[in-house]
Amino acid sequence: MKRKISSLSTKIVLLIAAVAFLITFVIFVVSVKINKEAFYEIEIEKANLIARTIEPLIALNIYLEMQSNIAQITHQLIENPNILAVKVLKENKIIDEIKSKEYDENIDNSFVVKRSILEPTSKKEIASLVLVYSNKGHKDLVNKYKNLVVVLLFVLSILFILFASYVKYLLSPLKTIALSLKNYSPSQEIEIPFTSQNNEIGLISNALHNMQDKIRQYSKQQQNINKYLEEKVNEKTLELRRQLYIDTLTGLPNRFSLLNDVANITNGALLILNIDDFKEINDFYGHVAGDQILKDFSNKLTDMFCNDFNVAVNRLSGDEFTLLFMQKPSLENFTQIAKKVIFDIEKTLFLYKNSEVGIRVTIGGSYEIKRGLERADIALKSAKKQQKPFLLYDENLNIEEQYKNNMGWVKALKIAIKKSMIVPYFQPIFDNKSNKIISYECLVRLIDENSNVIGPYKFLTVAKKSKLYSKLTKIMVDKSCKFFEHLDYDFSINISIDDILNKDTVAFIKNKIVKYGVEKRVVFEILETEEIGNYKEISNFINEMKELGCKIAIDDFGSGYSNFEYLLQLNIDYIKIDGSLIKNIDKDIHAQIVVETVVSFAKKLHLIVVAEYVHNEEVYEKVKELNIDRSQGFFLCEPQAQI
Amino acid sequence: MKKIILLYLTLLNIAFAYNYDDVLLKAQASIFPKIMLLDKKVEDKLIRGEIVYTIVYDKYDYNKALEVGGYINETYKGYFHKYKYKINFVDVLELSDKTEASAIYVLNVEKETQKVADIAKKKGVISFSYDIGNLKNGLMFSLVIEKSTVLYLKKENLYNQKVEFVDSLLQIVRFTESDNIKNKVLLNNGSEFDIKYAKTVIDIFYN
Repeated sequence: MKRKISSLSTKIVLLIAAVAFLITFVIFVVSVKINKEAFYEIEIEKANLIARTIEPLIALNIYLEMQSNIAQITHQLIENPNILAVKVLKENKIIDEIKSKEYDENIDNSFVVKRSILEPTSKKEIASLVLVYSNKGHKDLVNKYKNLVVVLLFVLSILFILFASYVKYLLSPLKTIALSLKNYSPSQEIEIPFTSQNNEIGLISNALHNMQDKIRQYSKQQQNINKYLEEKVNEKTLELRRQLYIDTLTGLPNRFSLLNDVANITNGALLILNIDDFKEINDFYGHVAGDQILKDFSNKLTDMFCNDFNVAVNRLSGDEFTLLFMQKPSLENFTQIAKKVIFDIEKTLFLYKNSEVGIRVTIGGSYEIKRGLERADIALKSAKKQQKPFLLYDENLNIEEQYKNNMGWVKALKIAIKKSMIVPYFQPIFDNKSNKIISYECLVRLIDENSNVIGPYKFLTVAKKSKLYSKLTKIMVDKSCKFFEHLDYDFSINISIDDILNKDTVAFIKNKIVKYGVEKRVVFEILETEEIGNYKEISNFINEMKELGCKIAIDDFGSGYSNFEYLLQLNIDYIKIDGSLIKNIDKDIHAQIVVETVVSFAKKLHLIVVAEYVHNEEVYEKVKELNIDRSQGFFLCEPQAQI
Repeated sequence: MKKIILLYLTLLNIAFAYNYDDVLLKAQASIFPKIMLLDKKVEDKLIRGEIVYTIVYDKYDYNKALEVGGYINETYKGYFHKYKYKINFVDVLELSDKTEASAIYVLNVEKETQKVADIAKKKGVISFSYDIGNLKNGLMFSLVIEKSTVLYLKKENLYNQKVEFVDSLLQIVRFTESDNIKNKVLLNNGSEFDIKYAKTVIDIFYN
């Protein structure tokens, strides 16, 4: 779109013309008004002057009683064309009066001047003089003045037109300069006109000329800088690309490089090596040592395969390395290479300062390159779990299915938590002497989207791994305490060592049992199957709970690392014998011996013993026979949503 | 015999006395005192606090002088404006520097007019003349009744430092030149007017 140019010179001229016209108009109006009044005053003054001049003569003639002379004077006066009439009155009687021929014609445009005639000696009024003076002279004067102003305005207008033309002429070079600059570009030199003029236009032209030089120089500098920056950017890009694919510590190709390589290989194989307990090396010797050992380890691997162009060594992450086979070797050869690596690494001593550090590796392998990295990783995890130095991925391991299953349960758990479908089920515990329900154990259940009731063995392990376990504990504590708030039964809730060590969970538990007023009736069952590492903190928890009135039970006693000495220190109230001992107690003599020992031990400590997993009458009878105080199990009653 | 002598003297007076224009005399008797008052320095001319209006006459015109004095008294009744006045009748032959005068009015005197003018000039008083022709001998004012009443002033006689008239007076008077006074006066409209002719006209008109 073409930009409309408004001429500066036109604006200036129009503005000046407008201001000048305004000023002239104002001056004209004001001056006409002032002058009109002034002219009128002059006319009056003229009339007064005539009266003043003539008055002494008339006065003298009256004084000297030469009244015939008065007529001569008035006659002379009337010859003045502006005087329409003259009247001399003495004692209100006209002693002389004369009127001009124009009197009747101009009487409407006239004014009257009256003056006292004073006696020359006494200055007493002896008569009065009346002049009728015509305005015609005044009007003529005003009209002449107006005509003069109009002429002046016309002359001024002509002058302004000339002035405007001159201003336009003076400023026209600016337009030419602007046109010459229109297509300016730093790379192209243009000829700026009027540089030789010795005025403001010349100054502007010269300034633009100098500016053009500076811009050209600056543009050249910018081009050099851009070129330099481009080179630097290319260098940095290369460096970053190298850093992207090369591990900075070991100099080996990194994970991105491996992924690229794997994508380009169709018939290869992959081994993932993990340095066992490398964290301990880091912790013991420090990270500098750890880094040094990683470098040495990578050198060792590189040396081992320096002559084998079929194998590429990569660093996958901290203590994990890969051996990528570009061409798939025979399965036997593949396995042998893995084992040889393990063997060679084991017998190699890595030196850090004066210390010799021996390391071991675990290897997971995938003989298929398709999804090779995931599969080798799965194989590595399985090898770690099974404490095997090498494991080759086997679809029959069904590990992927397990992962899928676990992820499914995590999702189901999250949904159940969100929808409040984690609920307590209540299994009664019977007193073996009275055969009556004496308390209930609160057991966690998940109600799935199809309203199926799921037991904890399906999701508890997953919950622990996905850090949802403490949430489950809190839900169970809250709902169980609330359920038994107004029921006159003792009830027990399972808590793990992790729960006890979690201060937030402990605070929550305290808050809830106090809130619902169940401190005296709640029993916390601590799972004994888990290794108890910090007895002091557990002891503190137990003491705090017992101060509130709660009771403590050791659950699944006999399944784990039972340590009677510690149990004595923990000040517990109940021992719940593990189901694996009770399950076949009616037949298993060894189980009977162990249980008898535990019961004997508990009795001496005045602890109440509870048998779990009482699933038939024979077992129940045997439990009673062994003097166990209480029983629970499917034979007696299954867990229920309500009691 | 006495009757004869008295008749003789009366006839002699009638025979030798000047024939005055009474109208003019009355006009002059009325106007000249007023003109005297238009002198700004009139106070300097008071004699013992009063104006002495001296009428100078020829020995045959004594009665006319008395007549003029009567006119004045009749008009002014003892006061010229605020000033008390006295009329002093003096024979022209008896006029001297010692004669008291605040202003001098000269009737028709054939001789000695120059003497009167010199005394008036010496005294610094205004001199009025019945006869305009006497202005050429140094008297200051005269008055003629033409179409209207006209005051004549001898310009040369005005240069008296002891007399200063109001300005307007000088605007209404008619100045005379020495040469023209003899027989003609310059009229207001610029035309000349023969005095003798004027006297004749006046005489015819009034008589």
